[in-house]
Amino acid sequence: MKMISLIAKREYAENVKTKGFWISVAIFPIIIGGMIFLQALLQEATPTRYYLLIDQSGRYEAAVGTAIDREHQRRVLQSFVSYLLEHRKEGDLETTAANANTAADQLIDDVDADEVSALNDWIDNGGLDYALLMASPYLEADVPPFEPPEPQFVAASVPDDIDVNSNSEDIIRALRPYFTGANQVTGAEANDSETAQGELFALIYIPEDVEQFISRPGDMPPAAGTTVGIQYWSSNLTDSRLPDAISNSINSEIRAREYVFSGIDASQVRNIQRTRLPFNRLDPTAEQGEEAVSIADTIRQYAPMAFVYLMFVSLMQNVQYLLSNTIEEKSNRIIEVLLASVTADELMLGKLIGIGLAGLTTIAAWLLSFFLFLEFYSSSETETISQFMEVILGSDLIPWFVFYYFTGYLLYSGVFLAIGSLCNTLKEAQALMMPMIMVQVVPLAMMAYVVVDPHNTVVRAMSWFPLFTPYLMMNRAAANPPMVDVVGTTIVLILSIGLLIWGSGKIFRQGILRTGQPPRLMELWRMLTMRH
Amino acid sequence: MSESVLQLNNVSKRFADFQAVDGISLSIPKGSIYGFLGPNGAGKTTTIRMILEIIKPSSGSISILGQPSALQVRDRIGYLPEEKGLYKKMKAWAVIQYFAMLKGVEKKAAKQRAYELLEQYGLGEFAERKVEELSKGMGQKVQVLASVAHEPELVILDEPFSGLDPVNQVVLEDLIHDMAARGQTVIFSTHIMQHAERLCDHFLLINHGKKIFDGTVREAKASLPRRIIIETEDAIDALNKSGLILDAVEQEMPPSATNSATSRQWQLEIDENTDAQQILQQCFELGIKLRRFEFTEPTLHDVFVHLVGDSGTETAVRQEAVA
Repeated sequence: MKMISLIAKREYAENVKTKGFWISVAIFPIIIGGMIFLQALLQEATPTRYYLLIDQSGRYEAAVGTAIDREHQRRVLQSFVSYLLEHRKEGDLETTAANANTAADQLIDDVDADEVSALNDWIDNGGLDYALLMASPYLEADVPPFEPPEPQFVAASVPDDIDVNSNSEDIIRALRPYFTGANQVTGAEANDSETAQGELFALIYIPEDVEQFISRPGDMPPAAGTTVGIQYWSSNLTDSRLPDAISNSINSEIRAREYVFSGIDASQVRNIQRTRLPFNRLDPTAEQGEEAVSIADTIRQYAPMAFVYLMFVSLMQNVQYLLSNTIEEKSNRIIEVLLASVTADELMLGKLIGIGLAGLTTIAAWLLSFFLFLEFYSSSETETISQFMEVILGSDLIPWFVFYYFTGYLLYSGVFLAIGSLCNTLKEAQALMMPMIMVQVVPLAMMAYVVVDPHNTVVRAMSWFPLFTPYLMMNRAAANPPMVDVVGTTIVLILSIGLLIWGSGKIFRQGILRTGQPPRLMELWRMLTMRH
Repeated sequence: MSESVLQLNNVSKRFADFQAVDGISLSIPKGSIYGFLGPNGAGKTTTIRMILEIIKPSSGSISILGQPSALQVRDRIGYLPEEKGLYKKMKAWAVIQYFAMLKGVEKKAAKQRAYELLEQYGLGEFAERKVEELSKGMGQKVQVLASVAHEPELVILDEPFSGLDPVNQVVLEDLIHDMAARGQTVIFSTHIMQHAERLCDHFLLINHGKKIFDGTVREAKASLPRRIIIETEDAIDALNKSGLILDAVEQEMPPSATNSATSRQWQLEIDENTDAQQILQQCFELGIKLRRFEFTEPTLHDVFVHLVGDSGTETAVRQEAVA
């Protein structure tokens, strides 16, 4: 026992002392933190985008202006909602219904829908100021003031060398240098103190005869190869916010006219479009009084995915250590000295424990840095994440994770230890490792599917395969899997761990003194069946 | 013979299609320095591994420090394997401490012992270095120290001299002598006869897994006829007939010789009861004028070549190169 702890301590110390260990400890929180920072950074870093409107029909300038304004207001709204989430007093996800129609959500809904009136409502109600006033009772004391985002799309004034009345080909030809950045456009509302200049992002060109091409149900589509209607020119093909907003806005303008033309009260239509019936999601297996599906329930349902992923990352890291340490001892022939001092079983057990502890240290370090991060960097994202964490830590998923983490570790480390003992170089080991990694990728790839359909027959059947059991059963944990599955797979799992450790021990004992090529299958079989 | 620390009774080891060790029996007296000699692939390492129960013999029995299994007395044994290697990232003292602790030495005592040993054998200033920063020879010395730090009763060193420079070879010989002086029994294997000759009281010579010789160095030498080399211009027929000489073989003259062309060199074999003085006197009486008279005890090298024969040639050549 003393020898085992001695070996375990050395294995642990040796791993924890390596640079690689600390890199892997640091990389996880850095990536998560980096992603959050990066997102915020990217949002702020988008430069002001200048668009140029040439409306030869003279009828849509207002609609385009509305579109741009609406796009901006939507961003203000979104930013406002996340400001609310971040600073509201008490956010209890247990009682917040998953489909709660908060006023803010509804507002976003309305703005998303093709509804100019929603924006009108928002502005008529005093817009931002009114919303802030309404929200203030629900906010924490001493919140920082809300800072609305800067407008992203800014109208540019028509450059002097452009004739707005010429045809589209000429206009585009003349504007090309502005698109490529060779020439710069000036913001339409720029004053002398700040000369807002930049590359031209988009041109919206509305031909004089555009109204001839309004298409109605039953109309023939325009002939292929002809460009009719509004032209949106931009070298950026992926940012669809501006063209979508403009297209929606102009269409809603046209529809408004159609209502008038057909003698329909447009405001009535708008109100009809905004009627709703409450829709509630309930869970029949929940306790009475808690049937309503809350956001917390939803989190719990999806949380196993995070555990499965954590398990995979941590297990892969551990077995990597196990493998490289065993191979180091083997290739340096340290193993012989060790075996003259301790038994192969003690050595194996010591390694399993030492490296297992190193793995736990990694997880602990990850969790610690995660909590520190949540503690000291507060934003709407971290606020949400820490609420998620609260739900997860309060759920009964933790014991499942601990159980499947340890059984998974024993199972896979047994296999990898045997592989390590058969190989003299990491290169040889990698060839044998590949199939084992592939095996683990299968449940990982199924992760998202299993969460949605945890009692699928195929999933249930696959859970009985011991190498999948820790992953799949963890994956299904939140869905209260049938007792027969839980007990049955656990028995199979524990039996296979016993068998595997026994077999690995045998291979280990014989493999560690091997030199030369890894054995063929037949030889492996002989190792397993040979008796001392 | 005094108390025996290790006994092998008809021990054999067969790998799938290869007889590595074939029926070896021996007994090693306590406090002796015992050599395992033999050409490469003779079965030395396999025998050692069986003694340590790293592998099990196919047949035969072993008694080590009074026990049937080395595992029961492993704390009283020190072992240096043939292929040397240490944890590269550990510091020199920590390696010695670790291996001593694996042998049951207390943490603090093991650390102290590690520093003492490093100091004593010339590595004091390298104690804090990581193994990967040491030269190969230094690393090997550290490993030797690690294998004996727990002051085992029985020390088994497999090819301890290979890879060491002459200075460090002497340091290692000193270490082995020191241990023997303290009553520790040392077994070491080598294919370099000079070390064996300088160190061993007893040795085992094996080839192709079979024991060829087992006994004291003196006994081994006695098994070889003793040789006298003479150089003369005269005929030596009369000497041959004197009855003192077992055999006379003419040898090629060494190229450096400045002697006259008629001078010839002979190797005479005499039996163990004949004194070289008698031969010299006989030559005198027979009027054989000697240009050179050289009497040397046979070396262990001679014994080795004699006993191993042709199959040992490769080793002999290698040994020349190393020495």
